[in-house]
Amino acid sequence: MKAEYINPFVVSAVEVFQMVLGTTPQRGQLSARKGIFTSQQCNIVLGVTGQLEGVIIYGMSIFTADKIASQMLGTPIRTFDELAASAIAELGNMISGNALTKLSGAGYRCNLSPPSIIRGTSVRISTLEIPTLVVPLVTEWGELEINVGLQERAK
Amino acid sequence: MAKRILITDDALFMRVTLKNILTQNGFEVVGEASNGREAVELYERLKPDVVFMDITMPEMDGLAALKAIRAKDPNAYVVMCTAMGQKQIVLEAIQHGAKDFIVKPFQPERIVEAVQKAA
Repeated sequence: MKAEYINPFVVSAVEVFQMVLGTTPQRGQLSARKGIFTSQQCNIVLGVTGQLEGVIIYGMSIFTADKIASQMLGTPIRTFDELAASAIAELGNMISGNALTKLSGAGYRCNLSPPSIIRGTSVRISTLEIPTLVVPLVTEWGELEINVGLQERAK
Repeated sequence: MAKRILITDDALFMRVTLKNILTQNGFEVVGEASNGREAVELYERLKPDVVFMDITMPEMDGLAALKAIRAKDPNAYVVMCTAMGQKQIVLEAIQHGAKDFIVKPFQPERIVEAVQKAA
């Protein structure tokens, strides 16, 4: 897994946070993970197909998800309902869509699946054989962890 | 008369956001679809002046829905509104008759401008 695959996601995440949430997150340390890991409290999962294949997962705490959803909706949320979940899902969609636009500029044409939200910390997520790169973004509402497991499609 | 608008997006959050922007600016949201197939059905029934169309959606994506709507009504005014801003996707949408292409995230003014451009 090349580091060049994750950078567009980090750059897009910073841009989307600035535009949608009015805040600039700080980029944390890059690390690598094997093809299986345990979920955080709230996870946005998107599939990528095309010249690159794999999965993108944005993990965060429920506290962070609540704060981000409240900011996006312009009002504090009381329960993490369908509207709040769809706000969080849309955040993942916007970051990933913009990242794929950047990757297409580097010659990788890819498509995105609609996002899913997975809640629960004991979920074990497998990216099969694809190793994952991880960059945490530190926001004023806690950490958003970007997990990118992509590989070039076998020719 | 206020322009009649159909919103298509699988994310409830985005439908609510678009509806708020449009109604606050004096436009009438006549329908909301959560995938391309619903959008095609609602287009035939409601005959809106403008359609906002997401691309990444379950069941039928926005490009397929654009083609289906334009095949039935060559004058349909469809505005793509998506996070997928890749050049070849923009080109494909324009080639199939999309009148405008808005990349998420957007400023509310961009949505209003797209509707105002529709004759």
